[in-house]
Amino acid sequence: MKWYEAISKIDRRIIYLFLTIFVILPFFVPFKLRQNIMPQTQQLFDFVESIPPHDKVVMISFDYTPQTMPECHPMAIALLKHCFARNIPVLGLSFDIQAPGLAVEALTTVVEELNHKASTHDDSLFYGKDYVYLGWKSGFTAAVLDMGESIAGVFPRDYFGHPVDSLPLMQKTRNYKDVAIAIVLSASAYPEYWVLYPQSRYGVKIGAGLTAVMAPKYYPFLQTGQFSGMMSGMKGAAEYEHLIVEKGYAEKLGRAETGMNSQSIVHLLIIIIIILGNIGFFFTRKDQKQS
Amino acid sequence: MSHDPWIWIGALLTLMIFSFLYKDNPFYKFAEHLFVGVANGYYIVFYWQNALMPNLFEPLGAGNLVYLVPLLLGLMYFARFIPKIGWLVRIPIGFMIGWGAGISIPAHFQAFVLRQLQGTIITPQSFSNPIEGVWAVIILIGVICTLVYFYFSKEHKGILKPVSRLGILFIMIGFGASFGYTVMARVSLLIGRIQFLLGPWLGLIE
Repeated sequence: MKWYEAISKIDRRIIYLFLTIFVILPFFVPFKLRQNIMPQTQQLFDFVESIPPHDKVVMISFDYTPQTMPECHPMAIALLKHCFARNIPVLGLSFDIQAPGLAVEALTTVVEELNHKASTHDDSLFYGKDYVYLGWKSGFTAAVLDMGESIAGVFPRDYFGHPVDSLPLMQKTRNYKDVAIAIVLSASAYPEYWVLYPQSRYGVKIGAGLTAVMAPKYYPFLQTGQFSGMMSGMKGAAEYEHLIVEKGYAEKLGRAETGMNSQSIVHLLIIIIIILGNIGFFFTRKDQKQS
Repeated sequence: MSHDPWIWIGALLTLMIFSFLYKDNPFYKFAEHLFVGVANGYYIVFYWQNALMPNLFEPLGAGNLVYLVPLLLGLMYFARFIPKIGWLVRIPIGFMIGWGAGISIPAHFQAFVLRQLQGTIITPQSFSNPIEGVWAVIILIGVICTLVYFYFSKEHKGILKPVSRLGILFIMIGFGASFGYTVMARVSLLIGRIQFLLGPWLGLIE
């Protein structure tokens, strides 16, 4: 076998082995790659920065699944830290059937961490006052449209079974007029439906945290201003982590930032493999033409 | 190393699924079938507890008889299993299509057609920042050329030929960006699993 045939027929298991090694290596040989912040992440961060404290809520729709946790969960954590650090109340909800457990975990993790650091009663976060998780609802379209009239009408009870009207935060959050922005963390088409229904009818500002696969489809929504910002994939999450650390809202970077080191190395490997494959293909075709 | 049995179950199932990368084997098959079974069980119980019970059976139990209408419409879907009354299925389907079309057609036009068209319109304001202005022109050219490429009522000859060629170029750049993002997404999933194996399971990283 000629050299160019060999490089275009590398056993896929060898490629998997190299991929695994290249993913693991950065966890044990730490290095720092400069993180440039993409404009859409900065835009979302700036929007949250512009919301006055103790005023309107940030609605976070947790619609990701366990499969896409590495991308969307760090986004949720970073976003929650940002909101709580600025005393912006958070209203969580879900429409994806697999999401409620992950939403509760994200909220619990952040609230426990911040309450552990809190020195006074006022610094602490309280369920019902600073944040509420409404839980899951079936019938997405009807639900998001009805929330424009009354959130409590769609979610009479929260995830934990409390009557929604009894929670202090919900007494001042009646409908979308009391929502500064709805940020959809999703691994499926929910963000475009948020644009389609609540934004078209009620003018709700929409932000998004998407898996990288979905990101190219959603860039046009940024350009038209239908999205007020967007985090795309693990990189978007890492950028948001970077921004909240830079502003002093968090002490250390999260999981996405450490994962991005592996991501960068693996991208180099994939670029090399693509170049090798193309060289092999080019020479093989040239050989075939000559013979 | 973790002492939590759930972490061990998660880690072993992850390794079983990864074993497929070498070749198909009984461990992979076991994990795959277990996943399908657990996922189905989860969905059935979740929908029963969180959709059917609160939205249908509890109001019915409380004597709210108007809920008989959605119950009846829902049951009509099963009519297709009985050939004699199979035509009944058209009633709920017609209801859903009517409701769905009515609610989504105006919204689609507003959000996906008119707003996207607005985004391609160049105004003097587009050039308030020169770089943004250049991008606005590129977007306009990209939209026109791509639309021309998909215009099949006239043969792509004369002026249409270079314009549609340029359209292909924009489409290819789009495909390239999608591929790059897809690679990033898939690698992210692998990183997530490796973080789980090295962290909560083996305790080698924080």
